[in-house]
Formats: sequence, structure tokens, C-alpha cells
Amino acid sequence: MFVLPPAPRYPNATTTTGTNGPNMQNPTLEMSNVLTHPTGTEYQLSVGEGTYSLQDSLLLATPPPHHQDAPIVSSNPLATTPTPPRVGVKISICVTTPRRRPPALYRTDTAGSTRSNLGTYSIKENEKESRSSHEASSDGYGSNTARTPVFGEDNHLLTPSLGKEGLKRKKPKTNLVKSNSQFISRVILNDQLQKRLQDHRPEGIFIFANIDRAYQWLDQSSPTPSRSQPLMKILFAKANVLCHDINHFTKAPNHIDVVTGANTGDIVWFEAFSQKYVRINKGNIISTSPISEIRWLPGSENLFLASHMDGTLIVYDKEREDAAFVPETANGFPTSPSNGDQISSPLPDTPSSTTTTTNTTPLHINKSVNSKNQKSNPVASWKLSNHCTTAFAFSPDSRHLAVVSEDGSLRIINYLTESLTDLYPSYYGAFICVCWSPDGKYVLTGGQDDLVSICSLHERRIIARCQGHHSWVTAVAFDPWRCDGRNYRFGSVGEDRRLLLWDFNIGMLRRPKVASLRTGGADNRASVSSQGRQGALGRTRTESQVTAGRLRSNSSLEGGGADGEDLAGLVEHEVESRTVTAELPPVMVS
Amino acid sequence: MSSFFNRMRSGAGTSNSANILPSKKDPNAPQLNPLERHLLDAGPLRQDGSDKFWGFENFGNTCYANSILQCLYYSVPFRQQVINYPKHTPTELVINSPTGQERLHINTTSLPPNHPSLTYAKLMNRQTTQNGSARNPGGPLATPKPEDKEHPDFKKKVAHTRGPTIAMGYENTQAYGMSESLFTCLKDIFEALYVHESRVGVVSPYRFLEVLKKDNEMFRSAMHQDAHEFLNLLLNDVVENVEIHSKKLEEEKNMNGAVVKDDFEQALARAMPKATTNTGWVHELFEGTLTSETKCLTCENVSQRDEAFLDLSVDLDEHTSVTSCLRKFSEEEMLCERNKFHCDNCGGLQEAEKRMKIKRLPKILALHLKRFKYTEDLQRLQKLFHRVVYPYHLRLFNTTDDAEDPDRLYELYAVVVHIGGGPYHGHYVSIIKTEDRGWLLFDDEMVEPVDKNYVQNFFGDRPGLACAYVLFYQETTVEAVKKEQDAESRVLTPKAITETPKEGAGLGIRTNGLANSVHPVKSASSPLHGDETVKDLDRAVTEPTPATAHPAQANGDFTALPAIQPVSAAPAEELKSKKERQKEDKERRTAAKQQAKEDEQAERERRKTLELKRREIVKKQDAETKAAIAASKASKVEEDRRLANENGTTIPTPTLAGGLSRFKSTSKSFKKPKFLSGASREASKDEAVVESPENEALPTSSQGANEVPDKGAESALNKAKHRFSGLNGLKKRRSNLML
Repeated sequence: MFVLPPAPRYPNATTTTGTNGPNMQNPTLEMSNVLTHPTGTEYQLSVGEGTYSLQDSLLLATPPPHHQDAPIVSSNPLATTPTPPRVGVKISICVTTPRRRPPALYRTDTAGSTRSNLGTYSIKENEKESRSSHEASSDGYGSNTARTPVFGEDNHLLTPSLGKEGLKRKKPKTNLVKSNSQFISRVILNDQLQKRLQDHRPEGIFIFANIDRAYQWLDQSSPTPSRSQPLMKILFAKANVLCHDINHFTKAPNHIDVVTGANTGDIVWFEAFSQKYVRINKGNIISTSPISEIRWLPGSENLFLASHMDGTLIVYDKEREDAAFVPETANGFPTSPSNGDQISSPLPDTPSSTTTTTNTTPLHINKSVNSKNQKSNPVASWKLSNHCTTAFAFSPDSRHLAVVSEDGSLRIINYLTESLTDLYPSYYGAFICVCWSPDGKYVLTGGQDDLVSICSLHERRIIARCQGHHSWVTAVAFDPWRCDGRNYRFGSVGEDRRLLLWDFNIGMLRRPKVASLRTGGADNRASVSSQGRQGALGRTRTESQVTAGRLRSNSSLEGGGADGEDLAGLVEHEVESRTVTAELPPVMVS
Repeated sequence: MSSFFNRMRSGAGTSNSANILPSKKDPNAPQLNPLERHLLDAGPLRQDGSDKFWGFENFGNTCYANSILQCLYYSVPFRQQVINYPKHTPTELVINSPTGQERLHINTTSLPPNHPSLTYAKLMNRQTTQNGSARNPGGPLATPKPEDKEHPDFKKKVAHTRGPTIAMGYENTQAYGMSESLFTCLKDIFEALYVHESRVGVVSPYRFLEVLKKDNEMFRSAMHQDAHEFLNLLLNDVVENVEIHSKKLEEEKNMNGAVVKDDFEQALARAMPKATTNTGWVHELFEGTLTSETKCLTCENVSQRDEAFLDLSVDLDEHTSVTSCLRKFSEEEMLCERNKFHCDNCGGLQEAEKRMKIKRLPKILALHLKRFKYTEDLQRLQKLFHRVVYPYHLRLFNTTDDAEDPDRLYELYAVVVHIGGGPYHGHYVSIIKTEDRGWLLFDDEMVEPVDKNYVQNFFGDRPGLACAYVLFYQETTVEAVKKEQDAESRVLTPKAITETPKEGAGLGIRTNGLANSVHPVKSASSPLHGDETVKDLDRAVTEPTPATAHPAQANGDFTALPAIQPVSAAPAEELKSKKERQKEDKERRTAAKQQAKEDEQAERERRKTLELKRREIVKKQDAETKAAIAASKASKVEEDRRLANENGTTIPTPTLAGGLSRFKSTSKSFKKPKFLSGASREASKDEAVVESPENEALPTSSQGANEVPDKGAESALNKAKHRFSGLNGLKKRRSNLML
């Protein structure tokens, strides 16, 4: 029997490792996290604005295999038995009460940039917490005067029952620690958990990280000796957490909603402070496919989106029960007939069902958000392709979704209307990561072509390919503190184990005209959408839209919608030759 | 026993495989192997050889040949050309020897999976007395545990015993009108596979190996050989024999005015004029052109030299991608110190910058990852376990500016994997994408379907010592890729359906229906054996956890359904409901449309100008480059000869300690036909290489590799990679250069 060891160290007895080849380095199993503070020039990055230096280097402990797992008997490297997908460590960062937000009016701030180095989540961690208004999901960028529509707001079945509990956050029910679930092997709480939480400064950084079957909650603001040790560590029995996200809309000094997706297809929503959890898609009742990415819908308390590796995107509600899912369209179950009316009135975009009109449209709606059947999960389910979706990201204006997948395509989806608007190809190979610029004008992708590609949604084309990595690019992120609408700073990391920083400037890319046009707003936008042969699109992702502009784009959209020809609403872009695409070198290579 | 009789009967000529189906009631009926299950739904046998999935027998360390032969067989254009050159041999000439005896029994079928001779004990005991231990010496596969039916050795034994087996002991050179060579042996094998009526089986290519060993001293030993070296040798041999033969044909034509052939052959030749005239097909498929640009740093004069390659050997760095390795291959390098460049323009040895770029892209790009590297401190070759990632698709960044179609898209279709701790032992297998059967693992006699993700298990950093060693990319188009992705979706979808109804009510019926529909097809076409357990087994493997059944899914293939239903219903509804609103908005819309049109016009013009500008810039750049090239070409003419010599002496010295890192011209000398004995090979050596500086250098290198590597030492080191230098000395190394 497995003996419960004193947290946070494991007893040495459990450290039997799998068999490995003689010459290969065994994956060493660290018993506890190791925090180091390497110094020296090799740990510093010098860029124009100054020098970044490495503060902490935290090596997470690799958990030993679960005792119920059969030891690996066959060392045959050619064994054809399929293995469950694995990923490296991903982190979610959470500051419950940030002292400063990234500049809404784009100022440059050096002090903040070390933090933004931390990872992909720096943009999201600073989202405004506008709890008072339920619908606004403003992200703190641009002049967001216009109200952003909320996903599924037209389906009254989805309106959360406010008022019962007021603004008090709902918490899950089952206690993590006392759970006798077969799914969760063990939960280790820090000895001084309460004390450490009390000492936690509100602007301090919490980090959530996955490594194999372990999931750790770390406090980056704790004093040094205890900083390396997690506040809480969840060990799953079989599942490996592949992705996770923090709800920045509901976070509070005593409340963090975390949702994790596992390679078994299981989803766990837990609240960190109370250590209570709920399992979703339990027993794979909705989908058996592993989850490659999971994110809370911007501005939503309950809804989150999970991309399953079979190419489906599924919106779940943490409050809803699961039920065996039957694709509604295939079942002869009509998508709610009146939704055309419902949607088009509040939204500037065309109703969703228009996109499903062509057979070639690769967005197949298995269940629309407007479905009449919203008693149980899933809230919505969309099938993109049969190829694994590797990552997705929500646009800062909370309207669009950028999804990348293994078939080497970047899809821009208006998730409010459930329509696919653009499909960009990679230069070659799969895409691995994606992110939006803080102003929502650009989408970055990284992939197996060793390139970071910058895609301008305004121009609807790839505007630059960034060459510098020596291997596949695995993560990209903008530095919101160094983006001002003309100049953009982003970083990327890759399989070559390097971090590269890049600057781009719209003028730099040989497109002076476009740069000046961009400020144009509504006219400009309308022209773009019509140029794309489809008025049906609400290209409303340019955030700085004025109300007048909305009106116009709205009307032009309606026109397109009536126009039978434009119903397809999808632009499939072609691969641009590298002779015509601008190339961008990195500013900094580490 | 009944099945045994069935086998005899079918062996006697009745190829009615329905007879040999194992009785379905038999509780002990063993499962079909994964490949047979995979092929259950195959239609009638095809004529193009694309549905033959045969293993190759291992005669003790001949896995290097097996893995490469498999890769070449599934290189579709290559296979077709081999079959069609000089002409497609009629089936009867393949089956019957010239004396009219039947030497190839094309309708033999495999033993049923529950054949009494296929027990573990019988097979594995035999193994120990046979060549079993010699098969994978030093390989990572431990001695099999008792009754480990998953062990590859056992599976291979089963495959071999079940057959059918094609013993390639004959040659058919007479029918080809060629003298025996590796090419004719290859053609023998391919043609036998073409005409055989079984989809699966085992080829015993011993004639091929005999010829290989007869002509090539280095492959004579039972040692572990280098698969890439073998590939290069084989391709060169094919090139050579095809050229010799076509030359011969031409001469005959010229001399007689008509080719002297028997009537039938003449008729055949007339029927297939294309096959006989097309002699450069190996070049067309595998050959690309490298341009080495050398810029003298003294006079800034740029000289160019083209060389052909059949495959590219790239150096590896830790944690890189194939793309990056190719980039590095074409990076600029300094020619300085002992490796200076003889500039014809300013005369004398100068420091120079040199870079190699691809000028003409091959249709099939064979990428050799240089995993065997000479390490100075150990004084021997070592295998690099660097993690080098390879994508399923590839474009080349390292092309010259004037390259044709520089954005050509390649797809990965075959990977040769080396398993083992070092270059002197181990095992080769290949993983190959077949035309319509997905990815298959070919491990000597054993062939197994694998998941697409399986292909990317061999980046080099995984436990088990298995690393990709040669990658085959073939030319493709975006459209083809898209089509294939769609097809993959279609393939996936039915599978998902058959999997889903696992526990549901309608499930039994469905499974039966499927099984029933499968059996007739199978019995009509292939000698595979099936039973009802197949479906369950299949599911057990692919489905991770039991799911609750969705009856609706069992009825309707939801994923396969294109969104027709919503199409017909939803928009109509929506338009109707919007009618009023539309009326209201009509004016506004018209205005907007107008606006949109104008905007569109404006945007289009803006784009046009943008595009024009872009093009102009590109054009300008092109013009500049062309001017530069023209200039250098002009100067090139006069200095060509000397330059060629000089380049021979200035093959880059690596700046890295390893000494191997930058030898880039693996196959550059393939063009000069090599006669396979060492001496004549030297005689025919590229004049660029046999120059006095090199001859001076070579002895140095043979003395020891400790010295600063100059050109000679470098090639020596590089050749040391091929593991023979240590034993065979200078001559061997030089002859290797010719490969």
C-alpha cells in the first residue's frame, strides 16, 4: 500500500523509475521542487530598453509513476501500442489584485517588463475585474466604449440565475483532500498553507503548473525557502494535466477558479482556496478525446472552452451537469429556429447558421449555443476538423477565437456567432501555439516551420514571418507593456530551448500606406470585409471602433447575409511564397 | 487441421481463399495480425503494386537493405520506373523461367493464423539454433521472455513461417536484356511483388544480397552496415545500369537501324516507347543541384560551381529541427588558414566565404541525418542521440535566388530508423506512408500498421535508442495535402462510428452487418483470414475508455454528415424571420452595399498597388541577383577548370572540434559512374577531387585524425563515419568518396 509521506517530500521508496535504454539519461525524479538563483551574464538578456536578469529558476519535481500503473515491461522502442499524449510544463499565472494594469493608452514601462517575461499569461492576468456588471468583459485595452456581447446571451436558457447568491462566487462541492476518488490519487497541502496564504501579498503572483500527473499551486511572492514548495499539489491517478486556466473574471483575494484538462479527456474545476472541486466530462460522457487547451470564456463566470484532440471545441458550463452528448444537427434536432432574430438584434454580426450553409465549411456545429436544450453540458460543441487542435486564444475584444491545429491551419472563429471567418495556412507543418496582440489586430502563430508568423486580421494576410528559432516554436506572447499600437514586442520560445524577443513595427514591414489607413476605423473596416468577398462578416475585431462604425458594418453585414452568394463567409487563404512575405529578425536571442 | 488442408488445396492452385477461412466457431482461433486486420476491407487486387505489404527476410544483419528496399518500393514514381524500365515484363515471363518452368508461385497463400506450426515453442526454439542471436547483435531488444507473443522476434518468425514466401533466387535478366546488377535484382523483386496474388508475405531477397556482396567488398561481412551508404550505392547502381543499358540500346539502333530483338519484345518496345526513351528517371526523381558560391574576400569576386546530389547529409545539433539543419547546411562559412581558397581572379590562396545552396530541388528529397559522428577523444564513431525534430511537411529555405519553385512543398513519406547504441551494431526498420493504407512499420519480415503520431517517436531523445536516420520527403502540393487531410477525415469518421456503438442496443446488429459486408470482399480478393473477434479487438486497441453508447451515433454517422440538414432548414427559417427586418433595413443596406462596393474598389486598388510594389521590389531584387550571377558566370567561364580543381581542395574545414560537421557533398560525385572495384573507381574519380593538394593531404589523414583537419583529413573523418576507414584504410575511404 502506498504510504502517505509527509508533505511535500516523497519517501524514497516510491522512486522506482521506468526502464530506459542504457545510454539514455533517465528522467531523474526530483523529490521536491528546486529553486535556484543563477547569476552571471549568461542569465541576462540585454535588449534596447535594458537588461533582463533571471531571478528565480524553479525546477518542478517530477512525480513518480502511480503505484497502480503497471511498470513498463517492454523496452521495445518500436512498440506500436499508442501512448497517451503528453506535454511539458505549462503555467497559469494569477495576480488576484494587480497593482498596475498594462497600459490602456500604451505607455512604455520598463519596470513591468520583467514580469511580462514570465509567459503567455501576462496579458490575461491583468484583465479588469468588472464584477459589478455581469456582461461586460472588457479587457482593459483600447477604448472599449461599446458593450461587448456575451457568448450565449441570447439564449435565455444560458442566463445565469443571478440574485440567489448575489455576487458571492459559487464554489465547487467536493473536498479535494478528503476525496476518495479513484481519479485523484492524492492531494498534498503545504504544512503552513494557512499562514502562507495570510502572508500572501495581494499583488503577489500565484503560479499554477502541471508536470506529468502532478498539478502544483505555487506562490511566487513567498519568502525564499518556502517559495519553491507548492501550496498545494494534486496528484492524479492516471490522468496527466495537459492544460489549465484561471478564471480572471472571478478571481478574488480569497477565490481562484482553476480548470484543468487532462489527457484522459477529464476536466476538473477546482477552487484553490477552499480546495474543493467538481469533475466535468466524468467518465468521458461527452468526449473521450484528450484536451489540448482549455480556457475560460472571457468575462464568463461559468463557461469555459476546451479543445479536444479530435478537432472539436466544446463549451462547458461548470455549473451544469453532464449528460451523454448527441450531436444535435445530425440527430435531426434543429438548431433553434428563431435564433436568427435573437442574434441579429443585439449583435453586429450575422446569425450563426449562415456559415453552416456550405458543405465545405470546416466548422460543423454539433450543438449551437442557441440550442433549446441547455439542461446539461455541453453548452456548445463545434467540430473543426479531424486533426488535433493544438491551441486556441480568445481575442481581447472577446469576440473571436484563433484556433491552430495540426493540419497547419489557423482558424479565426467568431464564437459569438459560431462562424468561421478565416483560415490561414502555415508555411508548412503543424501550428503549435497562437496568441493575440493586446489590441486584437494581430495574431501570432508558431509552429513546425520554425517560424513565428504575424497575421494581420485587418489586411487578412500574413504580414511577416519571423525566422530565428532553430526548432519548432512552442509558445508565443506579446509583451503588453511594450505594445503601443505602432510598435509591438513579443517573445517566443521553442524546442531549441531558446527565448527570442522580437519587435515589429507596422512601418517596418514595407507597408507604409496600410499603417496610416489603420487609424481609419469604420470605413476602413467595412472595406476590408467587402474586399474579402463577403459582407457577411462582422470584422469587428478592430477594437477601436466607434459607434457609428458599428452601425455601418452592421448594415453591410445584413446586406451580405441576404445575398445568397456570400453566405459562405469563409476566406481560405493561400500559402504565400516566402519571396513576397516580409521577414523579421529577432532583436534578442538568448 | 481443416485449415491445413485448405492451405494445401489453395497451394495446389485454387486461389479461392473463401475455403481457407478458419471456422468461425473455433474458440481457439487466434487473432489476425494487425496488418491483416488493417487490410480486411481491401478491394480487389490492384495492378500497380500499391497494395502489396510484404516483409523482407533478414539474413543476419541485412536489415539495412530491407529498410531501404521498402522505402524505395513505396517511392511510387521510383517503383513505377523500375517496373517500366526498360519495359514492363509480362506476367508469364516473371513467373516462368526462360525454360518455361514455373519458378514463382504467385497464388500461394499464407498459413492460417492458428496453424499448428505457429506455436511459440516451435518457432522460438528454432530461433535460438538459427541466426536469431546474430540478427540484432547489441540491439536494445532483450532476450524474449517466455511466451512473449508481442516480441518482434516471435512476430517475425510467425510472419516468415506463415508466408507466402517469395524466394528471390532467380534472375530475369534475359527478359530485361540487361546484364545482372543490383538494378535487375531490384526489378526482379518488384516485379515478383507486382504479380503475386497475396497482399502480405515475406520476400527473401537473397539473390539481391549475393549480387550486392559480390560487387561490393564492404558489404561482404556479416557486420552491421550503414543504411544510408547502401541507399547511395543502390541509387548509383541504378543510375549506372540504366545509363549503360540505354547507351547500348542507342548504339544498337544506330548500328542496325533497328533493334535486334525477338518479335515479342519489339512489339512491347513499340507499345511502350516512353519507358525506353526515359533514361534519366533516377536523376529526375532523386537528383537536385547544389550551387556553391565562393566569395573571395580579397577581390570580392564570387564564383559559382554546381554539383548534383542524390541525397543531402546534414549535420545535427542538439535540439534542432530538420529545417534548421538544412539552414545550417547552407550557412556561410569561412575558408581560411589551412583551407584557403585559390582565387583565380586575384591569383593565389585567399580567404573566402563559401555557401552551398540548393539550385534545383529534387522530386524526392532523401535527407541523411548524420547521427554517426567521429569523436576525437574516443577515436571512433559515436552515435548522436540529439533530439532533431522533423515535420510531416517541409519546404526548403536554403535555395538560391534563381531556384525554380523555391517554395516547393514536401511531405514526409518514409523514415529509416536506426535502433542501437552505436554505429557498429543495431537494427534498422522503416516507417513508410503507403498510398492509401496510412503509415506502416516495416521491421524485416514483420509489417504492422501504426498510428500517424508513431512516426514522430524517433526524434532521438526517447529511451530505446531508436532515432530517425534517413528521411524521405517527396514533392507534393498544398491541394494534394488538403485532399489527403479530407480523406483522413473520411477514414477516421467511419472508424469512429464502428467504435462508438459498443454497448448500445443496436450495436450487435451493426457489428454483424459490418462483419458480413467485410467477409465477402475479403474472400473474393485476398487470402486473409478473419473472424468475428476482429472488430472487438480493433476497438479495444483504439478506444481509450469505455464510453456510454449513443444510440443516435450508432444510427447516423454524425461526423460524416456534411452540414446539409442545417443548411436546408436553418437559413430558410432565418431568412423568413428576418424578412421584416430586412425590409426596414433595405435602404440602409443598399447604401451600405454601395459603400461597400466603393470601398471594395478602393481596397482592391490599394491592394493592387501594394502587390505591384511588392512585385517590383521582388523583381528588382531578382534583377540584381541575376546581374550578379551573370557577372560571376562571365568570369566563371575562363576560370572554370582551375576553379573546379581549387574547390576540390577547399572543401570547408569545420570550425568545430568534431571535424565532421561540415562535410557537405555526400553525393556530389555520383555523376561520374563508378565501377565498383576500388581501382577503377579511383580512375574514374572526379577530376576535381584528384588533385595534388589532396593527394598530399590524404596520407596525413590516414596517419591520424588528431591533426587539424585539412581537406583530406576532413574527408577521412567523414568517411570514418562510414565505419570502414578504421579497418580498410586509405583506399576504402577514397572509394567511399565516390559513393
